[in-house]
Amino acid sequence: MAANGAIPNGSADAPIDVSGSPNVVGINFGNSYASIAVLTKEGLSECIANEDGERQIACAISFHGEEIYIGNQAKPQLIKNGHNTIVGFRNLLGKKFSELPKDKPSASALIIQHPDLPDTPAYKVHVLQPAPKPLPPTTSNVNTPSASAMATPRSEPTPAERILTVSEVTTIFLKSLIKSAEDFLGKKVTGAVVSVPAWFDDAQRAALAKAAEDAEFHVLQLLEDSGAIAVTTAYGATPAELSDDRTQLVVDVGQSSLELALLSIRQGLAYSLATSTDFSVGGEQIDDKLIKFFAKDFTKKSKVPLVVCPAKHTDKRAEAKLRLAVEHTKRTLAASPGAATCSVESLKDGFDYTGTINRLRFDMEMKPIYEQIATKVRELVESASLDLYDVDEIVYVGGSASFPGLDDYLGQAFHEGIVTPFTTGTVIGGGVGDPTTILARGCALQAKLLASIGTGEEESKVRQAFEVESEWTKVKATTKTIGILFPEENSDGGLGGQWIPTILMETPLPCRRVHTFEVDLGEGDSKKVGFEVWEVKEGVKIEKVIPPKEEDDPEEVKEDAGDPEEDDDAEEELDVKEKTVEKETFLQSLSLEAKEATKVNGRWKTKLEVQFLVGGDGGLEISAWEIGKDGRGEKTSVSVSA
Amino acid sequence: MAHVVELSVVPPPLPSSWSPPKPSGKSISPLVSRRLLPAGPAFLAHVRRVVHDLSFEEHDK
Ligand SMILES: Nc1ncnc2c1ncn2[C@@H]1O[C@H](COP(=O)(O)OP(=O)(O)OP(=O)(O)O)[C@@H](O)[C@H]1O
Ligand SMILES: [Mg+2]
Repeated sequence: MAANGAIPNGSADAPIDVSGSPNVVGINFGNSYASIAVLTKEGLSECIANEDGERQIACAISFHGEEIYIGNQAKPQLIKNGHNTIVGFRNLLGKKFSELPKDKPSASALIIQHPDLPDTPAYKVHVLQPAPKPLPPTTSNVNTPSASAMATPRSEPTPAERILTVSEVTTIFLKSLIKSAEDFLGKKVTGAVVSVPAWFDDAQRAALAKAAEDAEFHVLQLLEDSGAIAVTTAYGATPAELSDDRTQLVVDVGQSSLELALLSIRQGLAYSLATSTDFSVGGEQIDDKLIKFFAKDFTKKSKVPLVVCPAKHTDKRAEAKLRLAVEHTKRTLAASPGAATCSVESLKDGFDYTGTINRLRFDMEMKPIYEQIATKVRELVESASLDLYDVDEIVYVGGSASFPGLDDYLGQAFHEGIVTPFTTGTVIGGGVGDPTTILARGCALQAKLLASIGTGEEESKVRQAFEVESEWTKVKATTKTIGILFPEENSDGGLGGQWIPTILMETPLPCRRVHTFEVDLGEGDSKKVGFEVWEVKEGVKIEKVIPPKEEDDPEEVKEDAGDPEEDDDAEEELDVKEKTVEKETFLQSLSLEAKEATKVNGRWKTKLEVQFLVGGDGGLEISAWEIGKDGRGEKTSVSVSA
Repeated sequence: MAHVVELSVVPPPLPSSWSPPKPSGKSISPLVSRRLLPAGPAFLAHVRRVVHDLSFEEHDK
């Protein structure tokens, strides 16, 4: 278990460039699962499996006699050894004992007031200590006792109590993650970027930083989940359907929460327009529904009554077994269109159980959950004074966002061209859109970026910009879309010509946008190019359309008004939405004589490049060039003062 | 380097009657304050420009 021994054989295959690129990693530290990502030779990042072959590592620690189980191995301990098994500790970081809800029933280790530290929550677990000397507290907290420890003959271990603070538990856990990364890389990890939820306050962030420090690795940055997503989506090519300037909805469905963020992404610069967190929807609710479904099926098949969620005392064990088993079922459902099984040996009264569920049925069972997520999404977008049609892209995060059925359900509310990892096919097979690895991958890329910043005086300010609440993150942003209008003869309705948006609303300043395109100059010889610069009002027009009644449906006609369902149906209007743009403020105009025009099929054409520069104060400079054979022609500029 | 976006639109010829309207003298709409996510290469570039007070062109070099 020596972490920093010689680099093992086969290090040529290690994904990090051995030529001295920094040994940094990304860690997604969720409340329920964590994951680790490293950098590949190609400069990308990928999620790695730990020594148990797990990419999603359960945030669980279980004490069993002299052993400590960490990660997925600790989870089954919840059934037999619950009071010595610790889960859900991340969300308790930085919390006082008096702040915690006391009435929450739990299958895991009890949280008590720490015997010595004031107002500090702690876990009390029962362990076996090797006799005669207790283990020195600093050494093998982390690892399951090594073989060598067992080799020396000694007398019987003695039962003992062990008190651990939330911070200590976190340290043990983080240490095991770093160790997995080091085992994989074959070298010491020098730094890590660790994800934090947006709602973590200063105390929680400080507590996490402290726990990491105690785990003896350098935290390069505690990066908000949204930041990690922005990094992942900013790397590599933007899908062809998407612009570098876009509005992105992040839907994170974890185990115990739904977290939403609406981001303005502007050529890789990102900020949040709105966020929300809902602790009442997540994988747990999905599990509840699945468990109920299978319990019912079990009763039907075995004639043994089984009531779960909530379960009677005698059925608690069966419920816990089902809860473990559906992990597999969910993964199968997410990964493949066929039916998924759920098997539990000796579920109740000695009866084994095997049942199946297909996607259609699953989505039906999940509909209330999907709807709850959809409602939260609508509320979020509304809170940012935007319309669902303003969203260009959906990004899914978290294990429970892996279901195609969720995307299908949510997708209906957006415009047809909405881009999601399911529509682009990047979820399956660990593609870039894989919701279970996207956070860790973003953190690893960010770690690489941070490691690239120099250490000198010059760079210290740049470094500071990445610290919490740094001044450098404050920016001014535009509130209306600005663009250019090429007036057109006899253009009926609309804006009166060709509209090209150049600086979208919610673009952080200063900014620069450069567009090139061909301009049609017509058949004549005037060859003048000109355009107007406008600020516009954008909106979404909703038209209510009553779909024509199907004539061959006599039921509908005969229907008596009392039936509420049919009544609804009859009145059901379809919302037909359309994005609108109206000219609002004329700012400037620019014109130039085309000198590089060429005649194609009797019409003059030229290639134009238009640059918009907006200063930090909102002052605007618009420049245009022709792009000829020898590159940029003469520059023509106009400006709009701040 | 400036990120140049190539568009496939082809604006039509100007109406014969069009002459460039005079600037309105108006400014763009009031700005809002936002907080950037301190993440990604674009943020690093932004910080470098702002910290060293560089224009986009100067930063390109
Ligand atoms: N491939 C998958 N398909 C479906 N569900 C999955 C998949 N992988 C994980 N899950 C489920 O996702 C949940 C864990 O999600 P995630 O790792 O995002 O949690 P987290 O961020 O730690 O949770 P929390 O919201 O509690 O902070 C669990 O309920 C797990 O069963
Ligand atoms: Mg999460």
